[in-house]
Amino acid sequence: MAHDASQFSVDERELQSRRAFFELTDDDLRRLAALRPFAERHLDDITEAFYELLLGHLETRRFFPDDATVRRVKAMQRQYFLGLFDGRCDLAYAQNRLRVGAAHERIGMAPKWYIGAYRRYLGLILDRVFEEVGDPVEARAAYQSVQKLVAFDMSLALDSYIDANLQTLGRHQAAIRELSTPVIRVHDQVLLLPLIGTIDSQRAEQVMETVLMRITEEKAEVIIIDIAGVPVVDTEVADHLLKTTAAVRLLGARTILTGITAQVARTIIQLGVDISAMPTRARLADGIELALSIVGKTIAPKAV
Amino acid sequence: MGLRVLDAVELPIRYEANIAEVRRSARALAQSRGFDSFATAALTTAASELARNVWVHGGGGSAMVEDLSDGQRSGVRMTFRDSGPGMSAADLERALAGGFSTARSLGLGLSGTRRLVDEFAVDTRPGGGTVVVITKWTRF
Repeated sequence: MAHDASQFSVDERELQSRRAFFELTDDDLRRLAALRPFAERHLDDITEAFYELLLGHLETRRFFPDDATVRRVKAMQRQYFLGLFDGRCDLAYAQNRLRVGAAHERIGMAPKWYIGAYRRYLGLILDRVFEEVGDPVEARAAYQSVQKLVAFDMSLALDSYIDANLQTLGRHQAAIRELSTPVIRVHDQVLLLPLIGTIDSQRAEQVMETVLMRITEEKAEVIIIDIAGVPVVDTEVADHLLKTTAAVRLLGARTILTGITAQVARTIIQLGVDISAMPTRARLADGIELALSIVGKTIAPKAV
Repeated sequence: MGLRVLDAVELPIRYEANIAEVRRSARALAQSRGFDSFATAALTTAASELARNVWVHGGGGSAMVEDLSDGQRSGVRMTFRDSGPGMSAADLERALAGGFSTARSLGLGLSGTRRLVDEFAVDTRPGGGTVVVITKWTRF
């Protein structure tokens, strides 16, 4: 599955520990395998009743936009249902159940919906087991076994849902980090990096790498770093800026710092940070003029 | 009329992202108490420095943010606590003189921070962790 976001997997030890906690024994699996003919008899009516809930609810209905989707998920549901009565609970089974959570995360179906759906499942099975298994002791044991396996499945689905969700978050963060270091080409050999938001150590490193890479690619002479959007310039941020400046200098280019507010200027001086290694300008426009003059250009009024 | 603590909140500093939260908390309180933009920037930057010290040198800890009043002025007091290696008296003296750091960076954190706030106190000993208390008051 190319889009399977979850990396969550279960090894033999985890499988055994989980089975032990859910009290899912080999006797349970044997009891479930014995229910297989029962499951096959009720395959259609349970699947239909199950989708009655999902399709009858406005918020879950939207996950099934057309008949083709409904047919497809019903077929999958049949497989899932019969899988409960295969009488096995090994690594392959667990891996198959893990996909449920990741798939739900991908389409944005929150756990509450499938926990509710699992509940309907158990209700449907409960009624039919007690109708058909004559001996109430046996019926209770059979239902207990179903309940254990369904709870076991649910735990796997939730774990993989959470894991897939964390990975989605990680991907978004990476995307935001990339967005947050947009190096713009202002003119031949002149680049601009407007910094916005918090500069943590990870981001500082990325800023440095992006700046150095773009300077090399563009054969730039000057890079303007605008910090108007950085809320706090503390010694850490100042240190990163100075290190970036030093690295830029190694490439034979220069850095200009712009967007320094009055408050930041005062704070930097009180902190005792010396940023005289970087030419600075309060306004971005002045920084651009300075940069252009370094590469031998000027902004002149249009001759009439 | 004495010093009154109107409200207090304690924030954990366990991850780097917590530093930004401490900073935001300091900024929000300073702004709501009518600090001017220079005083707000100074307090926020000091909070940033000290929270980073807790994270980098102290291996994590906490920041307490208190809303103070002395009857005439509003104040923000912040207490940064870690259970890291602490500092000897000689180390502390050098740290407060500036240009000293046991890690990388500029080594201006403590000395610079002292200049940003109105009151500044450090309690530290080797092996005993570090507590830094700063207070910034509104100006008349």
